[in-house]
Amino acid sequence: MSVEHYHKLCNQYMGRAVRIRTHDGRVHHGIIRHVDRRRVYLEPIRSNRNLGGFGYGYYGYGYGFGFGIALGAIAGIALASLFFW
Amino acid sequence: MGHTYLDCLAVLGIGGAHPGGLKLTKEILSGEALDQSKSVLEIGCGTGQTSAYIAEHYGCHVVALDNSNIMLDKAKQRFATINSAVETIHGNVERLPFADDSFDFILSESVLSFTDIALSISECQRLLKQGGKLLMIEIVHEQPLSEKEEMKIKDFYGFSQLLSENGWVRLLRQGGFEQVSVEKHAIIFDEHDLKHATEFSPSENVSHEYFNILKEHEYLSNFYKDNLGYRIFRCSS
Ligand SMILES: C[S@@+](CC[C@H](N)C(=O)[O-])C[C@H]1O[C@@H](n2cnc3c(N)ncnc32)[C@H](O)[C@@H]1O
Repeated sequence: MSVEHYHKLCNQYMGRAVRIRTHDGRVHHGIIRHVDRRRVYLEPIRSNRNLGGFGYGYYGYGYGFGFGIALGAIAGIALASLFFW
Repeated sequence: MGHTYLDCLAVLGIGGAHPGGLKLTKEILSGEALDQSKSVLEIGCGTGQTSAYIAEHYGCHVVALDNSNIMLDKAKQRFATINSAVETIHGNVERLPFADDSFDFILSESVLSFTDIALSISECQRLLKQGGKLLMIEIVHEQPLSEKEEMKIKDFYGFSQLLSENGWVRLLRQGGFEQVSVEKHAIIFDEHDLKHATEFSPSENVSHEYFNILKEHEYLSNFYKDNLGYRIFRCSS
């Protein structure tokens, strides 16, 4: 999926908890707070009781929205509290 | 590729595309006597999350079937990354390409509503060994909807029928499942539960239309949240 598609997806699920795997193999957890054309910004989730044994990931780019992840670096994405029939 | 709800799930590669997701699947399976000696068929396997879990966790022989090539390709990619083998088969749930009495368990998670339900049920009944079980998660309507509302939901999702709990039990009985146990679970969201988050395995090119379908789905399922629910059915002859 392209940068543009991840941009759309993150926009659509603003405010939801997300788990993002980046091409360097890291896993990031947080709540989607902002997305611009290049990055998605995650607010760290305080309680880690439901993170399923994953670490906290990487905290770079403290722009007030939490930490930013380059959309182009995203290798995989999973969203909490989605629901499908 | 068309632009239906099922196409959208396939192109975005939604894993665990059924109410309750993988978390509910684990709960359902933990109530069954599954072990290495059992053969399992998952119909409408989608991206194969459940089949992979069964093969890895229980060591069973698992066959995963779907009629979408996109879904099957994504399932195969997943199966290549695990240590257990899962067989994949392209096929139609309404006419399953297996001999009678082939499986101990058949699993169907949000699949039959998209098919001719009576046909699919009798196929499952035909494939199960004596003492075998069909495990299903399916949408139900909790209160009757107006004809117009029902049409709208069926059209959008591509359901052949939208049944009540009793409607399902009736069809299951008619299809030869004499013992049907039904469980009702509420739809509860733990908004921070990332362990059971919904995975996306999107295709290279995702048409914008699919994002609109996602939006419409969110809107409809929220709008009708009091009318629509789901049940777990455990069925044997
Ligand atoms: C809502 S998805 C559920 C997928 C998977 N069970 C899951 O929980 O993630 C429905 C699945 O059923 C498949 N399907 C629909 N009609 C089918 C049919 N007649 N024969 C085989 N598969 C079918 C679709 O391709 C899709 O993968």
